[in-house]
Amino acid sequence: MMRSLWIAKTGMEAQQTQLDHISHNLANVSTHGYKRSHAQFEDLIYQNLRQSGAPETEQTNLPTGLQVGLGVRPVATSRTYTQGALQQSDNPLDIAITGDGFFQIQRPDGSTAYTRDGAFKVDSTGQIVTNNGETLLPGLTVPPAAKQISIGADGTVSITTAANPTPQTLGQIQLASFINPNGLNPQGQNLYLETASSGAPQVGAPGSNALGSIKQGFVEASNVNVVEELVQMIQTQRAYELNSKAVQTSDQMLQRLSQI
Amino acid sequence: MDRMIYNAMAGAKAAMQRQDVLSHNLANVSTTGFRAEMASFRAVPVRGDGASTRVYALETTLGHDDKAGPWNRTDRKLDVALVGKSWLAVQGLDGTEAYTRAGHLDINAEGLLVTPNGLPVLGDGGPVTVPPNTTVQIGGDGTISAQGATGRPTTVGRLKLVTPEAKLQRGEDGLFRAADGADLPADANARLESGVLEGSNVSAVETMVGMIAAARQFEQQMKLLSLSQTQGQVGAKLLSPT
Repeated sequence: MMRSLWIAKTGMEAQQTQLDHISHNLANVSTHGYKRSHAQFEDLIYQNLRQSGAPETEQTNLPTGLQVGLGVRPVATSRTYTQGALQQSDNPLDIAITGDGFFQIQRPDGSTAYTRDGAFKVDSTGQIVTNNGETLLPGLTVPPAAKQISIGADGTVSITTAANPTPQTLGQIQLASFINPNGLNPQGQNLYLETASSGAPQVGAPGSNALGSIKQGFVEASNVNVVEELVQMIQTQRAYELNSKAVQTSDQMLQRLSQI
Repeated sequence: MDRMIYNAMAGAKAAMQRQDVLSHNLANVSTTGFRAEMASFRAVPVRGDGASTRVYALETTLGHDDKAGPWNRTDRKLDVALVGKSWLAVQGLDGTEAYTRAGHLDINAEGLLVTPNGLPVLGDGGPVTVPPNTTVQIGGDGTISAQGATGRPTTVGRLKLVTPEAKLQRGEDGLFRAADGADLPADANARLESGVLEGSNVSAVETMVGMIAAARQFEQQMKLLSLSQTQGQVGAKLLSPT
């Protein structure tokens, strides 16, 4: 009946999606290794109700046409993979990546997931696991006799025991990077999965091939900027209000029409 | 009398279409690089016998408003905002070259530089491919450099930036093209800023005021419609045999 009602509806929906993203970011403001994400918008297609330059008579052309756009839609979720702040912790198995790259995690179904959350633990069998108990790849087993675990910047894990003070190397943690990390599929539990658009993982030792290096005794905090989120929230709320005003105005016009 | 009712109808229809255009601008108040659509009414006189009172109003769109939108710093390496009246060249779905101000770029699985909806961004020699395992930086003149493991940035191409002399026209896909459809030459002097996104240039105040004006105008036309109805009734009463 009236395009503007539906156009304003697309505007309200888009702002609502943005607010969903903002709320999710704020909820994860203290999640280790969380990367903030926002919705990106694009304008919908345009309807040419009258083509400008179309002949009006044999001699004259229409100087201007009438082109009505049909609103807006959220086109993509853009995740910002900037470095989060490093928080010091006293746990030797808390490791953070400074630079690009993801830890590789083996999921229970055998597939590989990727994470930036480096708060690892040792489980009952001595495996280095995430908070959810999924194994860090390549699987490293810490012997029960281990007294001290040290993890180097290049990912080398070594231990010392009470009997043997010379460090013994257990193995090396490998990192994976993607050409388009924005294409990764977030799974929750701080994990991401590879997709066709992220490209195949490029696995390497930390510090090599543009991969970041590892810092032991630190965890990477969320990269959510609270001030930015709040400002964005204000902007989103006002834009939502303006669009609801457009709905109201259109409604009043139709109401007036029905009264004659 | 019958003319009046049609005149008022045309006015009301134009006010409704104005509302559509304004709603679209308002819906895109936070779309990256969006250009507001400008609207104006046009008088269309209908010439014929008698006094020339029949002048219809038609709603027309004059094209886009080309003033710059506000800049928001994002610090994302692949976000670019264009300085002045320059545009970024992309390849439209129909394969032709089109222009946009929305500088939110991504790299897809094939390593192509693309817009959020997957359209390839054009460099001086067609779409730009970025080598894997590198950090990409975009310089002030659109030069794209990739820094690999060796730590030395290498230039992989340069974004095609154009500065049109005549106003570009918006196509149905929301991308802009030259009026004659021809590709514009790359402008070596065009500049951009990376880590910044250009917001929409829709003025919320202007649009809201325009909306109120359109709503009131619509109401006036409704008033005229009911007036012509009353007039018709009175006329019919006068003529009716009693």
